[in-house]
Amino acid sequence: MLFPTLDFGLFFLPVLLLVWTVGLASNEWRKIILLLASWVFYGFWDWRFVALLIASAAINWGCARAIQTRLDDDRSAQPWLGVGVAANLAILGTFKYFGFFLEQLAPILARAGWGRDLPVLEIILPVGISFFTFQGMSYLIDIARRQTAPASFLDLTLLMSFFPHLVAGPIVRASHLVPQFQSVPKLTRGMVATALILICWGLFKKAVIASELATGLVDKTFFDPAAHSGPDLALGAYGYAVQIYCDFSAYSDMAVGLAALLGYRFPRNFDQPYRAASLQEFWRRWHISLSSWLRDYLYISLGGNRGGVWFICRNLMITMLLGGFWHGAKWTFLIWGALHGGVLAIERLWREWRPEGLPALPRPIAILIIFHIVVAGWIFFRADTLEGALAYFTQLWAFRPGLALASPLLCGLIALGLAIHFTPPTLLPAMARRVAAWPAPALGLAAGLAVLLTDAMRFEGVAAFIYYQF
Amino acid sequence: MADQFDSPVDVEADEQGLPGLAQMAVAVGIAVFTLAMINAHALAAWADGLEPGARTARISAVAHGLADQTEARGLDKPRAALKQQWDRVKAARWPNQASRKDQR
Repeated sequence: MLFPTLDFGLFFLPVLLLVWTVGLASNEWRKIILLLASWVFYGFWDWRFVALLIASAAINWGCARAIQTRLDDDRSAQPWLGVGVAANLAILGTFKYFGFFLEQLAPILARAGWGRDLPVLEIILPVGISFFTFQGMSYLIDIARRQTAPASFLDLTLLMSFFPHLVAGPIVRASHLVPQFQSVPKLTRGMVATALILICWGLFKKAVIASELATGLVDKTFFDPAAHSGPDLALGAYGYAVQIYCDFSAYSDMAVGLAALLGYRFPRNFDQPYRAASLQEFWRRWHISLSSWLRDYLYISLGGNRGGVWFICRNLMITMLLGGFWHGAKWTFLIWGALHGGVLAIERLWREWRPEGLPALPRPIAILIIFHIVVAGWIFFRADTLEGALAYFTQLWAFRPGLALASPLLCGLIALGLAIHFTPPTLLPAMARRVAAWPAPALGLAAGLAVLLTDAMRFEGVAAFIYYQF
Repeated sequence: MADQFDSPVDVEADEQGLPGLAQMAVAVGIAVFTLAMINAHALAAWADGLEPGARTARISAVAHGLADQTEARGLDKPRAALKQQWDRVKAARWPNQASRKDQR
Protein backbone atom coordinates (compact mmCIF):
# COMPACT_ATOMS: atom_id res chain seq x y z
CA MET A 1 0.00 0.00 0.00
CA LEU A 2 1.66 3.19 -1.18
CA PHE A 3 1.05 6.59 0.44
CA PRO A 4 0.01 8.43 -2.76
CA THR A 5 -2.86 6.04 -3.56
CA LEU A 6 -6.57 5.97 -2.87
CA ASP A 7 -6.06 2.58 -1.16
CA PHE A 8 -3.93 4.29 1.45
CA GLY A 9 -6.34 7.21 1.80
CA LEU A 10 -9.22 4.81 2.45
CA PHE A 11 -7.06 2.96 5.00
CA PHE A 12 -5.83 6.09 6.76
CA LEU A 13 -9.16 7.91 7.24
CA PRO A 14 -10.80 5.23 9.46
CA VAL A 15 -7.54 4.85 11.42
CA LEU A 16 -7.46 8.61 12.00
CA LEU A 17 -11.11 8.55 13.11
CA LEU A 18 -10.60 5.62 15.51
CA VAL A 19 -7.40 7.04 16.98
CA TRP A 20 -9.04 10.37 17.78
CA THR A 21 -12.31 8.90 19.09
CA VAL A 22 -11.70 5.55 20.84
CA GLY A 23 -8.05 6.48 21.35
CA LEU A 24 -8.90 9.73 23.13
CA ALA A 25 -10.47 7.89 26.06
CA SER A 26 -7.67 5.37 26.54
CA ASN A 27 -4.05 5.74 25.50
CA GLU A 28 -3.57 1.93 25.64
CA TRP A 29 -6.42 1.41 23.17
CA ARG A 30 -5.01 4.18 21.00
CA LYS A 31 -1.70 2.29 20.79
CA ILE A 32 -3.42 -1.03 20.15
CA ILE A 33 -5.42 0.53 17.31
CA LEU A 34 -2.22 1.98 15.83
CA LEU A 35 -0.43 -1.34 16.18
CA LEU A 36 -3.22 -3.32 14.49
CA ALA A 37 -3.45 -0.71 11.75
CA SER A 38 0.32 -0.93 11.23
CA TRP A 39 0.13 -4.71 10.85
CA VAL A 40 -2.74 -4.40 8.36
CA PHE A 41 -0.65 -1.84 6.45
CA TYR A 42 2.39 -4.15 6.43
CA GLY A 43 0.24 -7.20 5.69
CA PHE A 44 -0.79 -5.62 2.39
CA TRP A 45 2.66 -6.61 1.08
CA ASP A 46 2.85 -10.05 2.63
CA TRP A 47 1.08 -11.29 5.75
CA ARG A 48 3.94 -13.66 6.59
CA PHE A 49 6.26 -10.77 7.27
CA VAL A 50 3.99 -9.41 10.00
CA ALA A 51 5.15 -12.43 12.01
CA LEU A 52 8.76 -11.48 11.31
CA LEU A 53 8.07 -7.96 12.53
CA ILE A 54 6.50 -9.26 15.75
CA ALA A 55 9.31 -11.77 16.28
CA SER A 56 11.91 -9.06 15.75
CA ALA A 57 10.19 -6.81 18.31
CA ALA A 58 9.96 -9.73 20.79
CA ILE A 59 13.69 -10.50 20.44
CA ASN A 60 14.65 -6.86 20.97
CA TRP A 61 12.28 -6.51 23.92
CA GLY A 62 13.67 -9.67 25.57
CA CYS A 63 17.31 -8.66 25.03
CA ALA A 64 16.62 -5.14 26.30
CA ARG A 65 15.11 -6.60 29.50
CA ALA A 66 18.15 -8.82 29.95
CA ILE A 67 20.53 -5.88 29.41
CA GLN A 68 18.54 -3.62 31.73
CA THR A 69 18.59 -6.07 34.64
CA ARG A 70 22.38 -6.46 34.28
CA LEU A 71 23.31 -2.81 33.76
CA ASP A 72 25.10 -2.61 37.12
CA ASP A 73 27.59 -5.18 35.89
CA ASP A 74 28.77 -4.20 32.43
CA ARG A 75 30.41 -7.57 31.77
CA SER A 76 27.21 -9.55 32.16
CA ALA A 77 25.14 -7.02 30.15
CA GLN A 78 27.48 -7.00 27.12
CA PRO A 79 26.76 -10.60 25.97
CA TRP A 80 23.03 -9.79 25.79
CA LEU A 81 23.77 -6.72 23.74
CA GLY A 82 25.86 -8.96 21.47
CA VAL A 83 23.04 -11.51 21.20
CA GLY A 84 20.49 -8.81 20.37
CA VAL A 85 22.64 -7.08 17.75
CA ALA A 86 23.61 -10.46 16.25
CA ALA A 87 19.94 -11.49 16.06
CA ASN A 88 19.06 -8.29 14.19
CA LEU A 89 22.02 -8.73 11.86
CA ALA A 90 21.05 -12.38 11.31
CA ILE A 91 17.53 -11.35 10.23
CA LEU A 92 18.96 -8.69 7.92
CA GLY A 93 21.67 -11.02 6.63
CA THR A 94 19.31 -13.87 5.88
CA PHE A 95 16.76 -11.86 3.97
CA LYS A 96 18.97 -9.27 2.36
CA TYR A 97 22.50 -10.58 1.90
CA PHE A 98 22.29 -14.40 1.79
CA GLY A 99 21.78 -14.52 -1.98
CA PHE A 100 24.59 -12.03 -2.60
CA PHE A 101 27.13 -13.99 -0.56
CA LEU A 102 26.09 -17.23 -2.20
CA GLU A 103 26.52 -15.57 -5.59
CA GLN A 104 30.07 -14.46 -4.69
CA LEU A 105 30.88 -17.83 -3.15
CA ALA A 106 29.66 -19.93 -6.08
CA PRO A 107 32.53 -19.23 -8.55
CA ILE A 108 35.15 -19.70 -5.80
CA LEU A 109 33.68 -23.05 -4.75
CA ALA A 110 33.21 -24.07 -8.37
CA ARG A 111 36.91 -23.52 -8.99
CA ALA A 112 37.66 -25.80 -6.05
CA GLY A 113 35.22 -28.37 -7.43
CA TRP A 114 32.60 -27.95 -4.67
CA GLY A 115 30.17 -25.65 -6.39
CA ARG A 116 27.61 -28.06 -7.77
CA ASP A 117 25.48 -28.55 -4.67
CA LEU A 118 25.07 -24.94 -3.59
CA PRO A 119 21.47 -24.32 -2.52
CA VAL A 120 19.48 -22.01 -4.76
CA LEU A 121 17.19 -19.98 -2.52
CA GLU A 122 14.88 -17.28 -3.78
CA ILE A 123 14.44 -15.23 -0.64
CA ILE A 124 11.85 -12.47 -0.82
CA LEU A 125 13.06 -9.24 0.76
CA PRO A 126 10.58 -8.00 3.37
CA VAL A 127 9.80 -4.33 2.75
CA GLY A 128 11.47 -1.99 5.24
CA ILE A 129 13.60 -4.71 6.88
CA SER A 130 16.69 -2.48 6.92
CA PHE A 131 14.75 0.19 8.76
CA PHE A 132 13.18 -1.87 11.51
CA THR A 133 16.31 -3.93 12.20
CA PHE A 134 18.38 -0.75 12.54
CA GLN A 135 15.73 0.62 14.86
CA GLY A 136 15.94 -2.53 16.98
CA MET A 137 19.74 -2.36 17.18
CA SER A 138 19.80 1.32 18.14
CA TYR A 139 17.26 0.59 20.89
CA LEU A 140 19.46 -2.12 22.42
CA ILE A 141 22.62 0.01 22.19
CA ASP A 142 20.81 2.99 23.75
CA ILE A 143 19.64 0.77 26.63
CA ALA A 144 23.22 -0.49 27.16
CA ARG A 145 24.55 3.09 27.00
CA ARG A 146 21.82 4.20 29.46
CA GLN A 147 20.57 6.69 26.88
CA THR A 148 16.98 5.48 26.90
CA ALA A 149 14.62 3.79 29.32
CA PRO A 150 13.32 0.31 28.48
CA ALA A 151 9.97 0.31 26.73
CA SER A 152 6.98 -1.94 27.38
CA PHE A 153 6.37 -4.71 24.85
CA LEU A 154 3.43 -2.78 23.39
CA ASP A 155 5.48 0.43 23.03
CA LEU A 156 8.46 -1.31 21.47
CA THR A 157 6.32 -3.30 19.03
CA LEU A 158 4.49 -0.11 18.08
CA LEU A 159 7.79 1.77 17.72
CA MET A 160 9.07 -0.83 15.26
CA SER A 161 5.75 -1.34 13.44
CA PHE A 162 4.36 2.22 13.35
CA PHE A 163 3.11 2.47 9.76
CA PRO A 164 4.13 6.04 8.83
CA HIS A 165 7.84 5.17 9.13
CA LEU A 166 7.73 1.38 8.83
CA VAL A 167 8.83 0.82 5.25
CA ALA A 168 11.15 3.71 4.42
CA GLY A 169 11.97 5.64 7.57
CA PRO A 170 12.84 8.06 9.00
CA ILE A 171 14.64 5.76 11.45
CA VAL A 172 12.90 7.09 14.56
CA ARG A 173 14.73 6.18 17.76
CA ALA A 174 13.11 4.84 20.91
CA SER A 175 14.39 7.81 22.93
CA HIS A 176 12.47 10.10 20.61
CA LEU A 177 9.20 8.26 19.98
CA VAL A 178 8.55 6.02 23.01
CA PRO A 179 8.13 8.99 25.40
CA GLN A 180 5.52 10.31 22.96
CA PHE A 181 3.63 7.01 23.30
CA GLN A 182 3.30 7.47 27.07
CA SER A 183 0.26 9.76 26.91
CA VAL A 184 -2.47 10.83 24.50
CA PRO A 185 -0.77 13.45 22.33
CA LYS A 186 -2.07 16.96 21.85
CA LEU A 187 -2.63 18.28 18.37
CA THR A 188 -1.87 21.96 17.76
CA ARG A 189 -3.01 24.13 14.86
CA GLY A 190 0.66 24.52 13.89
CA MET A 191 1.04 20.73 13.66
CA VAL A 192 -2.12 20.37 11.57
CA ALA A 193 -1.09 23.12 9.14
CA THR A 194 2.46 21.76 8.75
CA ALA A 195 1.18 18.19 8.37
CA LEU A 196 -1.23 19.10 5.57
CA ILE A 197 1.41 21.18 3.76
CA LEU A 198 3.94 18.33 4.01
CA ILE A 199 1.45 15.72 2.78
CA CYS A 200 0.37 17.83 -0.23
CA TRP A 201 3.95 18.84 -1.06
CA GLY A 202 5.14 15.25 -0.68
CA LEU A 203 2.37 14.04 -3.00
CA PHE A 204 3.42 16.60 -5.62
CA LYS A 205 7.12 15.75 -5.37
CA LYS A 206 6.49 12.01 -5.70
CA ALA A 207 3.56 11.82 -8.11
CA VAL A 208 4.58 14.66 -10.42
CA ILE A 209 8.30 15.47 -10.24
CA ALA A 210 9.83 12.07 -9.37
CA SER A 211 7.42 9.96 -11.46
CA GLU A 212 7.59 12.21 -14.52
CA LEU A 213 11.40 12.31 -14.46
CA ALA A 214 11.65 8.56 -13.91
CA THR A 215 9.39 7.53 -16.75
CA GLY A 216 10.21 10.31 -19.21
CA LEU A 217 13.98 10.45 -18.84
CA VAL A 218 15.88 8.53 -16.16
CA ASP A 219 14.62 4.98 -16.76
CA LYS A 220 15.27 5.33 -20.49
CA THR A 221 18.82 6.72 -20.21
CA PHE A 222 19.88 4.14 -17.63
CA PHE A 223 18.27 1.25 -19.54
CA ASP A 224 20.46 1.74 -22.59
CA PRO A 225 23.04 4.54 -22.29
CA ALA A 226 24.51 3.75 -25.71
CA ALA A 227 21.24 4.70 -27.38
CA HIS A 228 21.24 8.26 -26.07
CA SER A 229 23.06 11.51 -26.70
CA GLY A 230 25.47 13.23 -24.29
CA PRO A 231 23.04 16.01 -23.27
CA ASP A 232 20.27 13.45 -22.63
CA LEU A 233 22.65 11.34 -20.50
CA ALA A 234 23.84 14.39 -18.55
CA LEU A 235 20.26 15.48 -17.97
CA GLY A 236 19.40 11.87 -17.10
CA ALA A 237 22.02 11.91 -14.34
CA TYR A 238 20.85 15.31 -13.05
CA GLY A 239 17.29 14.04 -13.41
CA TYR A 240 18.06 11.05 -11.20
CA ALA A 241 19.59 13.34 -8.57
CA VAL A 242 16.31 15.26 -8.52
CA GLN A 243 14.18 12.10 -8.79
CA ILE A 244 15.76 10.32 -5.83
CA TYR A 245 15.59 13.48 -3.72
CA CYS A 246 11.95 14.15 -4.62
CA ASP A 247 11.02 10.48 -4.21
CA PHE A 248 12.68 9.87 -0.85
CA SER A 249 12.08 13.29 0.70
CA ALA A 250 8.44 13.02 -0.44
CA TYR A 251 8.09 9.77 1.50
CA SER A 252 9.69 11.39 4.56
CA ASP A 253 7.50 14.50 4.24
CA MET A 254 4.36 12.38 4.03
CA ALA A 255 5.53 10.16 6.90
CA VAL A 256 6.15 13.22 9.08
CA GLY A 257 2.81 14.72 8.05
CA LEU A 258 0.78 11.53 8.62
CA ALA A 259 2.41 10.94 12.01
CA ALA A 260 1.66 14.55 12.95
CA LEU A 261 -2.04 14.11 12.11
CA LEU A 262 -1.97 11.13 14.50
CA GLY A 263 -0.33 13.41 17.09
CA TYR A 264 3.33 12.30 16.89
CA ARG A 265 6.44 14.24 16.00
CA PHE A 266 8.98 12.62 13.67
CA PRO A 267 12.42 14.15 13.14
CA ARG A 268 13.38 15.94 9.96
CA ASN A 269 15.02 13.60 7.44
CA PHE A 270 16.12 16.04 4.71
CA ASP A 271 17.41 19.58 4.87
CA GLN A 272 18.07 20.86 1.32
CA PRO A 273 20.96 18.42 0.71
CA TYR A 274 22.14 19.78 -2.65
CA ARG A 275 23.07 23.11 -1.11
CA ALA A 276 25.90 21.39 0.80
CA ALA A 277 29.38 22.85 0.26
CA SER A 278 31.18 19.71 1.51
CA LEU A 279 30.33 16.03 1.53
CA GLN A 280 30.33 16.10 5.31
CA GLU A 281 27.66 18.81 5.14
CA PHE A 282 25.77 16.77 2.52
CA TRP A 283 25.49 13.91 5.00
CA ARG A 284 24.13 16.28 7.65
CA ARG A 285 21.36 17.19 5.21
CA TRP A 286 20.61 13.89 3.38
CA HIS A 287 18.72 11.01 5.04
CA ILE A 288 19.59 12.57 8.40
CA SER A 289 18.15 9.69 10.43
CA LEU A 290 20.44 7.16 8.68
CA SER A 291 23.56 9.32 8.67
CA SER A 292 23.14 10.14 12.37
CA TRP A 293 22.49 6.43 13.03
CA LEU A 294 25.70 5.46 11.23
CA ARG A 295 27.60 8.17 13.11
CA ASP A 296 26.23 7.31 16.59
CA TYR A 297 26.24 3.51 16.40
CA LEU A 298 28.94 2.64 13.86
CA TYR A 299 31.43 5.49 13.41
CA ILE A 300 31.67 6.24 17.14
CA SER A 301 31.83 2.52 17.97
CA LEU A 302 34.77 2.21 15.56
CA GLY A 303 36.61 4.93 17.50
CA GLY A 304 35.18 8.02 15.81
CA ASN A 305 37.50 11.04 15.91
CA ARG A 306 39.55 9.77 18.83
CA GLY A 307 42.66 8.63 16.96
CA GLY A 308 45.02 10.18 14.42
CA VAL A 309 43.92 11.45 11.04
CA TRP A 310 44.53 8.12 9.23
CA PHE A 311 42.52 6.30 11.88
CA ILE A 312 39.65 8.76 11.31
CA CYS A 313 39.90 8.22 7.55
CA ARG A 314 39.75 4.45 8.09
CA ASN A 315 36.60 4.87 10.21
CA LEU A 316 35.00 7.12 7.61
CA MET A 317 35.74 4.60 4.88
CA ILE A 318 34.37 1.63 6.85
CA THR A 319 31.26 3.57 7.85
CA MET A 320 30.45 4.65 4.30
CA LEU A 321 31.22 1.20 2.83
CA LEU A 322 28.80 -0.36 5.30
CA GLY A 323 26.36 2.48 4.62
CA GLY A 324 26.53 1.56 0.94
CA PHE A 325 26.07 -2.13 1.74
CA TRP A 326 23.04 -1.26 3.92
CA HIS A 327 21.30 -0.10 0.74
CA GLY A 328 21.65 -3.50 -0.84
CA ALA A 329 23.85 -6.43 -1.67
CA LYS A 330 25.28 -5.07 -4.91
CA TRP A 331 28.74 -3.95 -6.00
CA THR A 332 27.29 -0.68 -7.28
CA PHE A 333 26.18 0.26 -3.74
CA LEU A 334 29.59 -0.64 -2.36
CA ILE A 335 31.31 1.57 -4.94
CA TRP A 336 28.85 4.36 -4.13
CA GLY A 337 29.76 3.99 -0.44
CA ALA A 338 33.48 3.84 -1.27
CA LEU A 339 33.21 7.03 -3.34
CA HIS A 340 31.52 8.87 -0.48
CA GLY A 341 33.93 7.44 2.10
CA GLY A 342 36.93 8.35 -0.09
CA VAL A 343 35.79 11.94 -0.61
CA LEU A 344 34.98 12.33 3.10
CA ALA A 345 38.49 11.09 3.90
CA ILE A 346 40.03 13.50 1.38
CA GLU A 347 38.05 16.37 2.93
CA ARG A 348 39.36 15.36 6.34
CA LEU A 349 42.97 15.19 5.11
CA TRP A 350 42.56 18.55 3.38
CA ARG A 351 41.30 20.13 6.61
CA GLU A 352 44.33 18.70 8.41
CA TRP A 353 47.02 19.61 5.91
CA ARG A 354 45.61 22.55 4.01
CA PRO A 355 48.45 25.06 3.40
CA GLU A 356 48.05 28.14 5.54
CA GLY A 357 46.92 31.30 3.77
CA LEU A 358 45.27 29.37 0.91
CA PRO A 359 41.87 31.01 0.32
CA ALA A 360 38.81 28.78 0.69
CA LEU A 361 36.76 28.03 -2.43
CA PRO A 362 33.82 30.42 -2.88
CA ARG A 363 30.72 28.66 -1.52
CA PRO A 364 28.82 28.51 -4.87
CA ILE A 365 31.78 26.77 -6.52
CA ALA A 366 32.13 24.34 -3.60
CA ILE A 367 28.39 23.57 -3.86
CA LEU A 368 28.76 22.94 -7.59
CA ILE A 369 31.71 20.56 -7.09
CA ILE A 370 30.03 18.61 -4.28
CA PHE A 371 26.81 18.36 -6.30
CA HIS A 372 28.69 16.79 -9.21
CA ILE A 373 30.48 14.33 -6.93
CA VAL A 374 27.09 13.34 -5.52
CA VAL A 375 25.64 12.99 -9.04
CA ALA A 376 28.58 10.76 -10.05
CA GLY A 377 27.78 8.61 -7.03
CA TRP A 378 24.11 8.45 -8.01
CA ILE A 379 25.08 6.94 -11.39
CA PHE A 380 26.54 3.93 -9.54
CA PHE A 381 23.59 3.92 -7.17
CA ARG A 382 21.00 3.89 -9.98
CA ALA A 383 22.69 1.54 -12.45
CA ASP A 384 21.50 -2.07 -12.30
CA THR A 385 25.03 -3.41 -12.71
CA LEU A 386 28.61 -2.21 -12.48
CA GLU A 387 28.93 -2.64 -16.26
CA GLY A 388 25.82 -0.48 -16.69
CA ALA A 389 27.33 2.31 -14.58
CA LEU A 390 30.62 2.19 -16.48
CA ALA A 391 28.74 2.22 -19.80
CA TYR A 392 26.85 5.32 -18.60
CA PHE A 393 30.14 7.12 -17.82
CA THR A 394 31.69 6.02 -21.13
CA GLN A 395 28.76 7.27 -23.19
CA LEU A 396 28.62 10.47 -21.17
CA TRP A 397 32.32 11.03 -21.86
CA ALA A 398 31.78 10.44 -25.60
CA PHE A 399 29.09 13.16 -25.44
CA ARG A 400 27.32 12.61 -28.73
CA PRO A 401 25.34 15.73 -29.67
CA GLY A 402 21.56 15.95 -29.77
CA LEU A 403 18.65 16.25 -27.40
CA ALA A 404 15.88 13.70 -27.93
CA LEU A 405 14.46 12.80 -24.53
CA ALA A 406 14.70 15.89 -22.34
CA SER A 407 11.63 17.95 -23.15
CA PRO A 408 11.08 21.51 -21.83
CA LEU A 409 8.86 20.06 -19.08
CA LEU A 410 11.51 17.57 -17.93
CA CYS A 411 14.21 20.27 -17.95
CA GLY A 412 11.81 22.50 -15.99
CA LEU A 413 11.20 19.75 -13.42
CA ILE A 414 14.96 19.25 -12.97
CA ALA A 415 15.35 23.02 -12.49
CA LEU A 416 12.45 23.07 -10.02
CA GLY A 417 13.87 20.11 -8.07
CA LEU A 418 17.19 21.93 -7.73
CA ALA A 419 15.62 25.34 -7.05
CA ILE A 420 13.82 23.84 -4.01
CA HIS A 421 17.25 23.63 -2.39
CA PHE A 422 17.84 27.35 -2.57
CA THR A 423 14.60 28.55 -1.03
CA PRO A 424 14.93 30.04 2.48
CA PRO A 425 15.06 27.26 5.11
CA THR A 426 12.38 29.16 7.05
CA LEU A 427 9.88 28.92 4.19
CA LEU A 428 7.96 25.90 5.55
CA PRO A 429 7.50 27.18 9.13
CA ALA A 430 6.58 30.63 7.80
CA MET A 431 3.95 29.10 5.49
CA ALA A 432 2.69 26.83 8.26
CA ARG A 433 2.26 29.76 10.67
CA ARG A 434 0.26 31.62 8.03
CA VAL A 435 -1.88 28.59 7.13
CA ALA A 436 -2.47 27.73 10.80
CA ALA A 437 -4.37 31.00 11.15
CA TRP A 438 -6.81 30.09 8.35
CA PRO A 439 -10.33 28.94 9.25
CA ALA A 440 -10.63 25.15 9.09
CA PRO A 441 -12.96 25.09 6.02
CA ALA A 442 -10.49 27.22 4.03
CA LEU A 443 -7.64 24.91 5.05
CA GLY A 444 -9.64 21.83 4.02
CA LEU A 445 -10.65 23.36 0.70
CA ALA A 446 -7.05 24.35 -0.06
CA ALA A 447 -5.81 20.84 0.79
CA GLY A 448 -8.50 19.25 -1.40
CA LEU A 449 -7.63 21.54 -4.34
CA ALA A 450 -3.89 20.86 -3.89
CA VAL A 451 -4.53 17.10 -4.08
CA LEU A 452 -6.76 17.61 -7.14
CA LEU A 453 -4.03 19.62 -8.86
CA THR A 454 -1.48 16.86 -8.21
CA ASP A 455 -3.93 14.20 -9.35
CA ALA A 456 -4.53 16.05 -12.63
CA MET A 457 -0.78 16.28 -13.25
CA ARG A 458 0.29 12.88 -12.01
CA PHE A 459 1.62 10.14 -14.20
CA GLU A 460 -0.78 7.20 -14.67
CA GLY A 461 -0.21 4.74 -11.83
CA VAL A 462 2.29 5.19 -9.01
CA ALA A 463 5.67 3.49 -8.91
CA ALA A 464 6.90 2.23 -5.54
CA PHE A 465 9.20 4.56 -3.62
CA ILE A 466 12.89 3.97 -4.41
CA TYR A 467 13.70 3.34 -0.75
CA TYR A 468 11.08 0.57 -0.41
CA GLN A 469 13.68 -1.81 -1.87
CA PHE A 470 16.08 -1.11 0.99
CA MET B 1 21.33 23.23 9.77
CA ALA B 2 18.67 21.28 11.63
CA ASP B 3 19.34 19.30 14.80
CA GLN B 4 18.91 15.55 14.21
CA PHE B 5 15.80 15.41 16.43
CA ASP B 6 14.16 18.64 15.25
CA SER B 7 10.74 17.99 13.88
CA PRO B 8 9.37 20.05 11.00
CA VAL B 9 6.00 20.08 12.77
CA ASP B 10 7.36 22.01 15.75
CA VAL B 11 5.88 25.27 14.54
CA GLU B 12 4.83 27.89 17.01
CA ALA B 13 1.65 29.18 15.47
CA ASP B 14 -1.22 31.31 16.70
CA GLU B 15 -3.47 28.79 18.47
CA GLN B 16 -6.51 31.08 18.55
CA GLY B 17 -9.73 29.73 17.06
CA LEU B 18 -10.72 26.07 16.89
CA PRO B 19 -8.44 23.75 18.90
CA GLY B 20 -5.98 21.68 16.83
CA LEU B 21 -8.05 18.48 16.86
CA ALA B 22 -11.24 20.22 15.74
CA GLN B 23 -9.27 22.16 13.13
CA MET B 24 -7.90 18.88 11.76
CA ALA B 25 -11.29 17.12 11.81
CA VAL B 26 -13.04 19.93 9.90
CA ALA B 27 -10.14 20.44 7.46
CA VAL B 28 -9.81 16.73 6.63
CA GLY B 29 -13.60 16.39 6.32
CA ILE B 30 -13.82 19.35 3.92
CA ALA B 31 -10.82 18.10 1.90
CA VAL B 32 -12.40 14.64 1.51
CA PHE B 33 -15.78 16.17 0.56
CA THR B 34 -14.11 18.49 -1.97
CA LEU B 35 -12.28 15.59 -3.59
CA ALA B 36 -15.41 13.42 -3.62
CA MET B 37 -17.26 16.20 -5.45
CA ILE B 38 -14.65 17.32 -7.99
CA ASN B 39 -12.63 14.15 -8.42
CA ALA B 40 -15.26 11.41 -8.17
CA HIS B 41 -13.87 9.73 -11.27
CA ALA B 42 -10.77 8.76 -9.30
CA LEU B 43 -13.01 6.86 -6.88
CA ALA B 44 -14.82 5.16 -9.77
CA ALA B 45 -11.49 4.18 -11.37
CA TRP B 46 -10.31 2.79 -8.04
CA ALA B 47 -13.53 0.75 -7.70
CA ASP B 48 -13.01 -0.65 -11.22
CA GLY B 49 -9.63 -1.97 -10.11
CA LEU B 50 -11.06 -4.03 -7.24
CA GLU B 51 -11.39 -7.79 -7.53
CA PRO B 52 -14.82 -8.64 -8.94
CA GLY B 53 -17.44 -9.80 -6.43
CA ALA B 54 -20.85 -8.97 -5.01
CA ARG B 55 -19.52 -6.41 -2.54
CA THR B 56 -17.25 -4.86 -5.17
CA ALA B 57 -20.22 -4.51 -7.51
CA ARG B 58 -22.08 -2.49 -4.86
CA ILE B 59 -19.02 -0.28 -4.20
CA SER B 60 -18.55 0.20 -7.92
CA ALA B 61 -22.21 1.12 -8.41
CA VAL B 62 -22.04 3.76 -5.66
CA ALA B 63 -18.74 5.17 -6.98
CA HIS B 64 -19.97 5.33 -10.57
CA GLY B 65 -23.29 6.82 -9.43
CA LEU B 66 -21.40 9.61 -7.65
CA ALA B 67 -19.14 10.14 -10.67
CA ASP B 68 -22.15 10.39 -13.00
CA GLN B 69 -23.93 12.86 -10.72
CA THR B 70 -20.91 15.12 -10.33
CA GLU B 71 -20.29 14.95 -14.08
CA ALA B 72 -23.90 15.94 -14.78
CA ARG B 73 -23.37 19.04 -12.62
CA GLY B 74 -20.11 19.87 -14.39
CA LEU B 75 -18.02 19.35 -11.25
CA ASP B 76 -15.46 17.23 -13.10
CA LYS B 77 -14.61 20.08 -15.48
CA PRO B 78 -11.87 21.78 -13.39
CA ARG B 79 -9.86 18.56 -13.24
CA ALA B 80 -10.40 17.85 -16.94
CA ALA B 81 -9.27 21.38 -17.81
CA LEU B 82 -6.17 21.08 -15.61
CA LYS B 83 -5.31 17.71 -17.14
CA GLN B 84 -5.70 19.11 -20.64
CA GLN B 85 -3.35 22.01 -19.86
CA TRP B 86 -0.84 19.66 -18.26
CA ASP B 87 -0.90 17.32 -21.26
CA ARG B 88 -0.19 20.32 -23.49
CA VAL B 89 2.84 21.23 -21.34
CA LYS B 90 4.00 17.61 -21.48
CA ALA B 91 3.73 17.49 -25.25
CA ALA B 92 5.80 20.66 -25.75
CA ARG B 93 9.20 20.04 -27.38
CA TRP B 94 12.28 22.11 -28.06
CA PRO B 95 12.66 23.43 -31.64
CA ASN B 96 13.90 20.58 -33.91
CA GLN B 97 13.12 17.98 -31.23
CA ALA B 98 11.00 15.00 -32.26
CA SER B 99 7.70 14.47 -30.45
CA ARG B 100 7.42 11.70 -27.87
CA LYS B 101 5.33 9.60 -30.27
CA ASP B 102 7.98 9.88 -33.00
CA GLN B 103 10.67 8.70 -30.57
CA ARG B 104 8.82 5.42 -30.11
